[in-house]
Amino acid sequence: MALKKSNIATASSDENELKDCKTIGQNLLSDDASVRRWAARDITHCDGASMMLLDQLEVETDMSVRQVILTSLTQVGDSEAVEGLVRCLRTEDAGLRNEAIEAMKHLPKEIAPIMACLLNDSDPDVRIFAVNILESLCHPDVEQWLIGVIRDDEHINVCATAVDLLGEVGSEQSTQALQELKDRFDEEPYIQFAADLAIKRITGD
Amino acid sequence: MSNTLISDQEFDKFAEFFYRKTGIKFDSSKRYFVDKRVAERIKETDSESFRQYFTSLRFQASGEELQRLTNLLTVNETYFMREDYQFRCLIDSMLPDVVSRHDPRKPIRIWCIPSSSGEEPYSIAMYLLEEWDGIDKWDVELIASDIDTTILETAKRGIYSERSVRNVPPAWKRRYFKDVPGGQQVDQDIRDAVEFTRINLSEPSDVRSIRNVDIIFCRNLLIYFDDLSRKVAAEHMFEAMSPGGYICLGHTESMGRISPLYRVKKFPAAIVYQRPLEARK
Repeated sequence: MALKKSNIATASSDENELKDCKTIGQNLLSDDASVRRWAARDITHCDGASMMLLDQLEVETDMSVRQVILTSLTQVGDSEAVEGLVRCLRTEDAGLRNEAIEAMKHLPKEIAPIMACLLNDSDPDVRIFAVNILESLCHPDVEQWLIGVIRDDEHINVCATAVDLLGEVGSEQSTQALQELKDRFDEEPYIQFAADLAIKRITGD
Repeated sequence: MSNTLISDQEFDKFAEFFYRKTGIKFDSSKRYFVDKRVAERIKETDSESFRQYFTSLRFQASGEELQRLTNLLTVNETYFMREDYQFRCLIDSMLPDVVSRHDPRKPIRIWCIPSSSGEEPYSIAMYLLEEWDGIDKWDVELIASDIDTTILETAKRGIYSERSVRNVPPAWKRRYFKDVPGGQQVDQDIRDAVEFTRINLSEPSDVRSIRNVDIIFCRNLLIYFDDLSRKVAAEHMFEAMSPGGYICLGHTESMGRISPLYRVKKFPAAIVYQRPLEARK
């Protein structure tokens, strides 16, 4: 036994052949997780890819397949993909919800136009998830969105989430809104503590 | 005469195109590095302007020019025995675990990506021959891949400067290198044992043929990728690996920030990442 030259890169197999979209769609329903993962990658070039990926995401139980589906949805990034990911924010499945939040962080251009809607959603949980998306969204308006939340949102938990994030990403322009937030929730010790901490971090005092 | 100037808008378009093709992201802080190399190619291809060059780059069916430019825009600085605590971990911890559940009729498969100029796969080969008792009982396949075809040719030649081999133990140097014009060349048997292949880790069709890998060394590559490309690369490596297989990343890299697919495994010599043995719900 010894070091042995591999012929892996030149070996041919059926798996190397590109498949048509109908076959890929069928493979997305395969019993074999590996086949489903490859289908989730290959399908990005097919018409209606986002809808098929989202349908499978709803029923997919294998985490490795879900990850590839979410990556493919991010790569496609069309309006169906974005709408589908937003729907995931409303699911009771915490794992899927968090995975959708992570995926949306990679879509700053696509998420930006709907961020205002998400931050004004009637469900405070969805508004909190929208703030969670802002955590790593590479977009120049992140701070302005967060300032808007602490100025206008009535829900303490939504504001608290936004304040925590402002402590990390905020600049001098956030301090007035943070001060106003303290006045608005003047009987809420956590808001007082978190806003003071955020101001201290921003101003360095 | 060529006009090699690149406007901000053209740079952004180029960076976006190059990112889609390779997963490598260049922001404006890398402009000097990128502009210099693109200008070189504009001149070499007798293009009149960036615009003309970029059009030919995008629409050339063979992809030859894209490959040439990729070769210029990738960084290949490495040396023998770099971060060798991971090779210690390979011998003392990862391989004993892998062979404990491996089919004895099949070879152990180790994949180095990026191969760069070959120092890493050759270092691993030497470690296996010198330090691992199991080499008498097991066949080991070493695959080394890179997106840069020029550097793969350099790796296959296996000729290195004194600086590159400075950390090789003297006894190993005597056994596995010989003096040749231009430096020291790795022994023919070791060069023959490594399969060098061109692979773009961002491209599914490139990665599809690599499978049943037991241990991957993917060090200091993902730092050049953005978050999404890192995730794609992590998922492609997951596909290439056998369940229970291991990944070693560079010491500044962490899989925890890239993908939840792997488990952290703390061995005495190194922290590595493992593809779980069973599917995770």
